[in-house]
Amino acid sequence: MNRLRVLKLGWEFPPLINGGLGVACLGLARALAKHVDLTVLIPKSSRDEASEDFNLLGVNHLTVKDLESVEASYRYEGFAQVRQVPVSLDPYECGECGGSGEVISTGHVVEPGGEAAFSETTQRQLESFRTGELYGSDLGSKVVEFSKIAAKMAMLETFDVIHAHDWMTFLAGVEVKKATGKPLVVHVHALQYDRAGADARGWIYEIEKYGMEQADCVVPVSHYTGFIISSYYGIEIAKIRPVHNGAHPVEVFTMKKKFPEKLVLFLGRLTSQKGPEFFLETASRVIAKNPNVRFVVAGTGDKLRPLIESGAFRGLGGHFHFTGFLDKDKVNDLLSMTDVYCMPSVSEPFGLSALEAAQFGIPAVISKQSGVAEVLKGALKADFWDVELMAKHINDLLSDDELRERVVEQAKHDIAASTWDAAGAKIFEIYREVAS
Amino acid sequence: MPDVCIYFQVHQPNRLLPYDFFRIGENAVYEDVAMNAAILDKVSDNCYLPANKMFKKLVEENDGRFRMALSISGTAIEQMERYRPDVLDSFRELVATGSVEVLAETYYHSLAFVHSNKEFDRQVEMHLEKLEKVFSVRPRVFRNTELIYNDSIAAKVETMGFDGIIAEGVDWNLNGGSPNFIYQAPEAARIKTILRNTRLSDDLGFRFSDPSWCEFPVTPGKFASWLGDCEGDVVNIFMDYENIGEHQSAETGIFDFWKALPEAIEDQGLQWVTPSESVELYRASREYHSRFITSWADAERDLSAWMGNVMQQEAIAKVHRLEHEILAVNDPELTDTWAKMQTSDHFYWMSTKGGTDGTFHSTMTPYPSPYDAYIYFMNVLADLQIRLRRAQDRQKMLS
Repeated sequence: MNRLRVLKLGWEFPPLINGGLGVACLGLARALAKHVDLTVLIPKSSRDEASEDFNLLGVNHLTVKDLESVEASYRYEGFAQVRQVPVSLDPYECGECGGSGEVISTGHVVEPGGEAAFSETTQRQLESFRTGELYGSDLGSKVVEFSKIAAKMAMLETFDVIHAHDWMTFLAGVEVKKATGKPLVVHVHALQYDRAGADARGWIYEIEKYGMEQADCVVPVSHYTGFIISSYYGIEIAKIRPVHNGAHPVEVFTMKKKFPEKLVLFLGRLTSQKGPEFFLETASRVIAKNPNVRFVVAGTGDKLRPLIESGAFRGLGGHFHFTGFLDKDKVNDLLSMTDVYCMPSVSEPFGLSALEAAQFGIPAVISKQSGVAEVLKGALKADFWDVELMAKHINDLLSDDELRERVVEQAKHDIAASTWDAAGAKIFEIYREVAS
Repeated sequence: MPDVCIYFQVHQPNRLLPYDFFRIGENAVYEDVAMNAAILDKVSDNCYLPANKMFKKLVEENDGRFRMALSISGTAIEQMERYRPDVLDSFRELVATGSVEVLAETYYHSLAFVHSNKEFDRQVEMHLEKLEKVFSVRPRVFRNTELIYNDSIAAKVETMGFDGIIAEGVDWNLNGGSPNFIYQAPEAARIKTILRNTRLSDDLGFRFSDPSWCEFPVTPGKFASWLGDCEGDVVNIFMDYENIGEHQSAETGIFDFWKALPEAIEDQGLQWVTPSESVELYRASREYHSRFITSWADAERDLSAWMGNVMQQEAIAKVHRLEHEILAVNDPELTDTWAKMQTSDHFYWMSTKGGTDGTFHSTMTPYPSPYDAYIYFMNVLADLQIRLRRAQDRQKMLS
């Protein structure tokens, strides 16, 4: 049998990453390259990254010449009524770095189903990907432009399946599907539901819903997210096929703490989604019982300053520390000193960092509203809002060595099964189904 | 016509390193030595050295008729001893003229009075000893950090043997009265309260270099005539020394102004006095009630510059809460490190005020934001507590 050919549409890709999405895309791409011929199209790639197993195309390196031959043959169909993106679309907007609320225009108008004069605009489309940031204030127009370029690119490539990752690439996936008739798999790493809460509606929500409706198969990173997809987005359960993420094995080391106290770690963006306030609430309860614990918040975001002030108000300073943003090495240093990992996310599609922590032999206390809770069967769990139970779990892990041992052992077992290869094999199976 | 009394504040804090979480338990060095030395260099060049030289010359030229006072914090003296002994020498020469009085304050320029009587006593005593050693003087007038004052501070300082205490003359305590008299605190028997003339002091301290000020530019003659028009016994012009040459650069003409001021004062028929001379010369003719704490900082003239938000409140409370344990281990270095963390500037940098005062706070800070100031400070405090526990363990083993 011939190898399947897959066109993967991604947004962030190492080394240009913002969160877990890029890491997951790379992990999956490497694993899938063992089964299929893979071309990965992303808005921006850096020249120096090696991709021996698959073909990586960055739109920022495309030229008009590359697309010339297909200019005439593409009919623009899908969502062309979108003329203006009326909101500032920055799901990862960070209060510290500011952000703008300007109205973004896609720059030109295309009639639905009309014959578009792309040669005039292609130059401009490509231009926008060479400068600026992946999640800049022009994210909305980038998403639209990316879909058009992807559709043109798709004419030049031969493939059997389209695989799009998260809403930024869903429009592109649908456009490519319409242009080529190939089956579309959409992969859901995070939803607007997670970022903005259960009442999330608007442009991003609509794109997510539209993409999943048009897809032949929807792959969420957990059953938890699959449930949200069926219940909040009304997608039929039959085409939802959860596949858990894997984890890259990390080089594990232990560093001696320089202080006698135990260390409980929170790692992640400081946004409502990650529940840092619940971490603080939990910390105040643990410290009230056991003052020999330090809580560390590693990360930054719009909740940083309010969190610092709440901590001071509760008199937790000196026990509740903020590191700001840390690079990978510093994160690993921190993990090597950590006694308990705490992830109180309000809604976490997966939670890769909990697996990474588990590799360091750190027992985890995680919220029930997380995908990784399905993988780390031994981790202690609580509803994100149940700070009393979270605090009890942390106290138990710090005082009961036998329990700690048990949780760590079970986690070792669980992470052994959580590999990107295992995830890749499941997705390969899905490719075969949709392609046949 | 009133006399004219001037006093300048000289202070340098020990700024902390960007002390991140990873240093806790490992790095017992807290101070940013390079930054402290560099700032002292800069301020010495712009202000201390040229201003000292200028005032020494004014004293000599006026045969001692020009008189002034300085208050120099213990931390500033230490920094000069360590990095710039030449600058300390220049202060010594100025004091040695006999026309420059030195005032007493808390050694660490702290808010100790607000938190602990005992620590306040300790720091005032330390400062007196230091002044004795460095300048061979014994001050008779006390000025608390940033003129932090209320009735009970006056009463307290009286029991320590001082004849006078300096306070901000705030409108809501003066009730329309003039700050240009010597006052008496209600609970004090003998000590006299000297009130800073807010408007005239700030004219020279802040507005002098502001071209949008309606009185700009102010000349020595014009300013002397304002003083001559004042009612009362003595007009008190108090400000930070750095307002001459540092906050207001030489280009603004601030040095020329001060050089010409003594002559203009004389032309008006006014005389210079020092704070201790003014309490000696004048009767405390009126009572000044200050039930609540006042200071010379920010528009509020209260403690809000250092204790206005929760970060400041927590940080300052936690430092002072260690007092008993720190003093009990009797480790001079640990005690000194702890006491330096009481310096008011640490809390000033954590202020999140907006407006003109907020802008001023942020121009004075060595950190990117008040939140960083808080984080570094609390990390240092965490390390200090670890060292304290180690010292306690050692003490236990020995006993």
